[in-house]
Amino acid sequence: MGAFYTIIISDYKQRTRSYAFLVTLAISLYAAYSFVPAPNATYSTVRVGGYIGVQNAAWIGYVTAMMTSVFLCWIGFYLINSGIKKDIDTGVGAIIATTAVNNFSYLLAKTWSNFLVLLTIVGCVFLMAITLFFIRSSGYPFQVSQFILPYLLITIPAIFFTAALAVVAEVFLYRYTILMNVVYFIFFCAVVSLQVTLSSRIDIIGSKPVFAAMQQTVFEQSHDASQAVSMGFMFGSKHHFHYFEFDGIRWTAQAIFSRVVLICFALLLVFISSRFFHRFEIKQKFKAKKKSKFPEIVRKAQPSHAIKLSTLPPIVSAYGIMPFIKTELLMLFRKGPRWLWLINLGGMTALIFAPLTIAHQMILPILWFLQVGRWSDLATKEKTNRIHYFTYASYKPLSRLLPAQIIAGIVLALVLAFPLLLRYLVGMQFLPLLSIIMGGVFIVLFAVVFGILSGGKKLFEILFFAFTYANIEKIPFLDYFGGMNQGINYSLLIAGFVGLFILLSFVLRRIEIRRV
Amino acid sequence: MKISIQNISKRYNKEKYALKDFSLTIETGILGLLGPNGAGKSTLMKIIATISQPTQGSIELDGHNVLKEPDYIRKILGYLPQDFGVYANLNAYEFLEYIAAMKGVGGPGLRKRIGALLEGVNLIESAKLPIGTYSGGMKQRIGIAQALLNDPKVLIFDEPTVGLDPEERMRFRNLISDLAQTSIIILSSHIVSDIETIADEVAIMQSGMLITKGTQSEVISLVDGKVFETLLESSALTDFKTKHLVVNTIRQKDQVRARYISPNPAKGSELVSPTLEDAYLFLTHKKP
Repeated sequence: MGAFYTIIISDYKQRTRSYAFLVTLAISLYAAYSFVPAPNATYSTVRVGGYIGVQNAAWIGYVTAMMTSVFLCWIGFYLINSGIKKDIDTGVGAIIATTAVNNFSYLLAKTWSNFLVLLTIVGCVFLMAITLFFIRSSGYPFQVSQFILPYLLITIPAIFFTAALAVVAEVFLYRYTILMNVVYFIFFCAVVSLQVTLSSRIDIIGSKPVFAAMQQTVFEQSHDASQAVSMGFMFGSKHHFHYFEFDGIRWTAQAIFSRVVLICFALLLVFISSRFFHRFEIKQKFKAKKKSKFPEIVRKAQPSHAIKLSTLPPIVSAYGIMPFIKTELLMLFRKGPRWLWLINLGGMTALIFAPLTIAHQMILPILWFLQVGRWSDLATKEKTNRIHYFTYASYKPLSRLLPAQIIAGIVLALVLAFPLLLRYLVGMQFLPLLSIIMGGVFIVLFAVVFGILSGGKKLFEILFFAFTYANIEKIPFLDYFGGMNQGINYSLLIAGFVGLFILLSFVLRRIEIRRV
Repeated sequence: MKISIQNISKRYNKEKYALKDFSLTIETGILGLLGPNGAGKSTLMKIIATISQPTQGSIELDGHNVLKEPDYIRKILGYLPQDFGVYANLNAYEFLEYIAAMKGVGGPGLRKRIGALLEGVNLIESAKLPIGTYSGGMKQRIGIAQALLNDPKVLIFDEPTVGLDPEERMRFRNLISDLAQTSIIILSSHIVSDIETIADEVAIMQSGMLITKGTQSEVISLVDGKVFETLLESSALTDFKTKHLVVNTIRQKDQVRARYISPNPAKGSELVSPTLEDAYLFLTHKKP
């Protein structure tokens, strides 16, 4: 029990002391603030047809709990899905493998530490929700149960499920990080679409009883049973909306039981995955595979080759950045599984044949998102691979290596977008063409800046995922590639960000080089 | 060529110094850096290699302040860090080409030079395999090869023989002894015998400070007439250790042959020739 507890707490401490956690926490708090729109805001987050709730304790409590549940099932997964990988990278896993801790205990400990990380964020959001009540409630009584119950029965089971799913994903897809991210992206989209379908019994987020109760309340007030529930950031004027008073829901034994079942199901998944857990036998497998490919070379006795360094060919100075660009492109190309390039080719083909709007608004952001693993460590791989002692001691590292990394990243973005660029070029539509180029430059620089800033790739992965999902959901603020906004002013705005990111990336890298 | 290190300090907080008022002059040849863990060897090497900034002091290479003009030394620097990694997806040729680009080395002879270096570190047979498949010793050898890529005039090796078997250690020594005629080579190691067989001069560090520097014979002379051997009963060893600095023991049935350093030898002891290891242990020994 002691070892179990220690693994949980150590893992929890290690993760909550990361930059990515702090940034996710800050984003979560900002998001929580936006979950309950101000009366004059031009968006809503939960509505039942043409009705939205008055901002009493129940409305604020349930809406923030449901939105937090969605938000953390979405962003939270990307924050916590590297607990086992960290043990592999640091070599701690090899030590754990030699201890008496069994696979299930280890994975369960990881699940709990994942859960605690998300729970910490939930705790902060919970306090933010109560604060919001006192800011926005305008005279409605404070009922603490209207906050505790939804967070306890909606959010906590959902984040526990996410915590377990992150562990299961790491067990089965530990070699395929990109695939893991993409699969979860698809899974999450499916969960959200099932969530608003009341006929479906699947309710991971935990919002269905709340939706039903809200519809019932609206029906009692308006006698209109056709009001569908919507959840998410919905933009548009709220002048024509009616208000209704939501008093929370009566939690039936069946509803509570369904949440307990979700937790048990999560535990079952962890248990099943423990049967397939590699227990850190990864490197040996990799080596064995390679050895069998080149058996005679590795096993043969190596002859002695004495050389005299003074007789080697003389060196020729070459301070250009082309060799860097070449190697960076080579590494970008080789990164991730090879079959992903088939998907990339499929995506590029779709960019040729799909209707222009769909190609630009849907296919392009997804195609770029598939490169998340390639871009996320573009400017941090020196540190994570401990090459930085070589690079930072090399000739003019700031003005040679960093531009080469940025250029290689942009080349990848533009090559992938090339079919679409060509279509716009043929159609003489230069503004969307410019928007896409700016978008490619933007996302690569975004990866560079946030990578250097956080010292890792997690933060960028989380934000890029958020950007992609928001773009597919047509939330206009995060449209970095002009899918929805194609005015010259918008392009100038993105260009401004690009300029800022270029400046930041060089300043941050300069500081980083000096702080080794 | 001459590197002048003047009053270098590296301070982490008010009381913790990695290096304190450290001064040293290094000339062409091989300087062996010895010191216990935490002595500041790696910090000093990182500062000379321009990847770490000192809190105060200056370093000059032939009159150029390398702290202000880091690119002056970077062009002629070969550096092997103690703890480095590789890009697992690249093979040895690709990785060394990448490092060559960083060092500003190119031209038609580059591939041949890389091939010769890989042969020199005994990796030519595995050069087309991804580095991710290499053993620890093989990675260390690729580290040595990258340090030699640009025909360096200043070579800094931080624990270069870690993970190398005796044959590879010998090969390494032969490889760099060729360069010692025209380059400054700074070499740190925990293995005193590595330094003993190759270094022209030795510097011993402790707690961020230089204890002594000189040729091997000069350093060894510090314990001249102080190194003895004696036969003891096994049960007497613990008590003997409280009175003398015991540097080595060899069990012989119920007795122990102890090699120790002391200005006042025990009765029946035999004076023996000191070694660099004796001098190192004597100088870095912390009295209880």
